[in-house]
Parts: sequence; C-alpha cells; structure tokens
Amino acid sequence: MPAHQHYNLWLVLLSYVISVLGSFTALQLAVAIPLAQTARQRMMAVLAAGAAMGVGAIWAMHFIAMLACNMGLPVSYDPVLTALSAIIAFGACSLGLFIASSGAFSWAKLAAAGVCMGLGVTGMHYLGMAAVMMAAYTTYDMSLVAASLLIAIVASIVALWLAFNLRGRVQMVGSALVMGLAVCGMHYTGMAAFNIDEEGGQVPAGFANGMRGGNLGTSIFIVTVMLLVAALVIHYKRQQRRAAISI
Amino acid sequence: MIELEIHILSDRREGLLVGLGRVVIASGFTLLRQRVYQDNQGAWLVMIVRGEPEQQLGLEEMLATHARVQSFEATLLAPGAAAQAAATPAPRASDGATHGSASSSITHIGPDVGKVESMLPQLARDYPKIFPWLLALEHDVAAEAREASLLLAGRRTGTWVYKRDYEMGGKLGLADAIKRIATPAMRSLISVDVHDRHFHIQNCPLCPPGGHSGCRFFSGYLEGMLSASSAPQSVLVRHLHCRGQHGAGDCVLEVSH
Repeated sequence: MPAHQHYNLWLVLLSYVISVLGSFTALQLAVAIPLAQTARQRMMAVLAAGAAMGVGAIWAMHFIAMLACNMGLPVSYDPVLTALSAIIAFGACSLGLFIASSGAFSWAKLAAAGVCMGLGVTGMHYLGMAAVMMAAYTTYDMSLVAASLLIAIVASIVALWLAFNLRGRVQMVGSALVMGLAVCGMHYTGMAAFNIDEEGGQVPAGFANGMRGGNLGTSIFIVTVMLLVAALVIHYKRQQRRAAISI
Repeated sequence: MIELEIHILSDRREGLLVGLGRVVIASGFTLLRQRVYQDNQGAWLVMIVRGEPEQQLGLEEMLATHARVQSFEATLLAPGAAAQAAATPAPRASDGATHGSASSSITHIGPDVGKVESMLPQLARDYPKIFPWLLALEHDVAAEAREASLLLAGRRTGTWVYKRDYEMGGKLGLADAIKRIATPAMRSLISVDVHDRHFHIQNCPLCPPGGHSGCRFFSGYLEGMLSASSAPQSVLVRHLHCRGQHGAGDCVLEVSH
C-alpha cells in the first residue's frame, strides 16, 4: 500500500459487503434471463442485472472504498466523470451478462462475458480515479494496473461460471462472494498502483464544485437501499414462483 | 433403416395426427403414410414410419406415455412392404390381416393417465418422501399399464422438480446436467451411485427382488429432468439391469441422447 494512503478498515469491509450484495442481486437477476419469454422481458432482465452489478456492486463499492481511503489531502470528484464511470460499469456489465446468459454454455462465451465484466470493473475504477480532484500530481504503476485488470477478468469469469453452471447454494452465494472479490481485488490493486506527488501540485479548476464525501455518502446510501430492496423482492418472487409451479 | 406400422387408439381424432406426427418426427422417424378412422372403440391412427433401428425404443416409449395414446401396437414391416401396407390400413396387425411380412409385433398399453394424474398432487405435497404413493400406484393400475404409468409419473415429477429447484441458470450439456442436476436430485430420493452416464440405484424400494420392476419411475424422472435441463433436449434413459427382474444387484439406468 502506498505510504500516502491510510484506510479505515471498517469501511474497507463495508465496501466488500456492498460488492457482494450487489453481485448477489445482479447474478440472481441474471440467472433468470434465460427464462425470459419475450425479447422485451429479456432486455429488461439484462438491464436490471447490469444496473445491480454496474451501479451497485462496482460503482457503490468503489466510492465506499474511496471514502475509506485517507490520502492526506482534500479530495473532490468531477460529477461528469463520476456519472460516466457509473454508465460505463452499467453498460459493460449488461453486455457481459447478456453474453453469459444467451444459449447453451461455451467457454468462448464465458471468456467473452468475463472480459466484458472485467473491463467494466476496471473501466469504472480508472474513470472514477480520473474524476478525483486534488492538489497533487498522480501517476500509476503500470504493472499493477495490468494486474488489476487481470484480477477483474479472471475473477469475473469464475463468478459467471459459478452463477450459470452450478445450482443451489454454491451458485447463489459462491458466485456473489467471488464477484465481490473480483471487484474489490481489482479496486485495491488499482489503488496500490496509484501514486501522488504533492510537490508543486495545484488545486484543479472546478475543485470547489466537485462532489464531496457527503454527496457520495447519500448516493451510496440510496444505491444500497435499492439493492437490499431488490434482493428481498427477488427472494419473495422466487418463493411465489416455486409455490406456483404445478406438477 | 426400418419401417414400422403403428396402430394407435385414442379417445378422439381431433389433433391426433398433428400431435403424434410431432412425436414421430421428434423421435427421428419419417412419416410415410397415415390414416385416421373411427370405430366403436375410439379413434384409430395408423402410421407407416421409417427410421433408424436404434430409435425404435425411444419412439415406442414416447408413444407409450403420450397423453392421447390409450394403447398402441407397433409392427416391424419387411423391407419394401410399406407401400403395400398403406394401401389397406384399416385392420390391425394383431387381427392377422397384416401387411407385408411382420417379423415382430409389440403391443403396448399406455399409462393409466387418470390414476397418475390423481396421484401427482400427492407426490408434489410429500416430495421427496414419495415411495408410499408410488407403491400404491403400482398396485392400483393394471399390470400391463404399470410400467407406462410409472414412467409417466416419473417424467412429470422430474420436469416439475427441475422447474422448481434447478431451472435458474444456463442450459447445460448432458454430462454437466447429469452431474449438477440429475445426480443431486436423484440422491434426494434414493441412494444412487453415478458412473459417467450410468445410474446404479441401490435397494430400489419399487423393485422387490423377484417381483415386478418399478424403476421405470426413475427412467421417467431422469428423462423429464434432463430433457428440460440439457441441450439438445432429446434424452433417452434405458434400463440395463433391474433387481426386480434379475433378483439381485442394483438397478442400472443408462442416459443417452
């Protein structure tokens, strides 16, 4: 961990919990995509799963982890880039889940879906980091950046394989735990690659109008509540569906 | 290639040809000729079909468990006899006025659909503790309808369990579906060893040694479950050994496409 970064471990743990909750909700929505009867139903299921994964598991996790990180400097976030990072995560995850859920299983399809998801996680992170505004120069250790991308892709492939090829508790819980590892592993490796140099750094234009911790906290709270509600609704609907199936 | 002449008795003729023609095609056979007529027993459908010999058992099993089939009779025709057979389709092969030189003839009585249907809700309610109901079904139906009835009950139960417990997720290949769906589902019912595509059922309570064979239920159960879960969807389960018929050992079922 770079010397300029100090973490609140409770918030780090919370970031993992949020990524697992978002992954659980997303993957439970995703495994029902193959059951869609119409193209519209399928598209809605893909978008819902992509939103839970992109905005819930990845974007919300990223900013909780950023709140957990004290870099010794005041920080704010460019609202446009911050919003764009959420959109990238949503789009890449929707595409990945669409690929993974279409037709019969194949390794090529799984790899393509995992690459989409991994790029979604990584793209969101580094665009989110580009949104960081502070009075310092920032650089990256490119070998760690590459490692963070590899972690995101490999762990996403494993999580998708668990979600679409297994059944039962391992499918439900195991896939979410592994996807949470993909998101957090990528994030914290990416943060290890992040270096700042305070010498000669200037406060960037727009710093005062950027989003602060308070703004992010509210957004994250809303996302988290939505994820919890979605997870509960999914569970309730599944129980209803199970009881309604006639022999 | 073989040619079969199949006489099917049903309760009514509406939709009979369409429904059973689909079964013939799904089983890999080609429908050469057909005729439907009515008599005082019900509606008769006579079909001349052609296909591979190894598909015959699958076709007969599908016909035996089809809801519209009350009974059917399949006669193997001598090569080239199909044209002659179709010209006079009304009499049944078992009446002695067969067409061509029938080298074998198998008569199937279909399942007792009414008794199976009335028992299915009990199976759903008590699942997986369903053996008392299956034993009762074995005793309730006529001996010649026993296997077909158990097969039908198994198919319906297998499909239901798949939809209830295993439907969420991707479509699997047959090997993965056996490993991840059929094996845990079978183990929730009974002690079973699985080797590749062979299920060895230990001490099957439906097959008392020296008694009748009841493990047709598990054939249907696996067919219903795997047909719904794997791609491609045509799955056939064959009986290789039954302790009810052979007196000892496990009941062995083989799953194939």
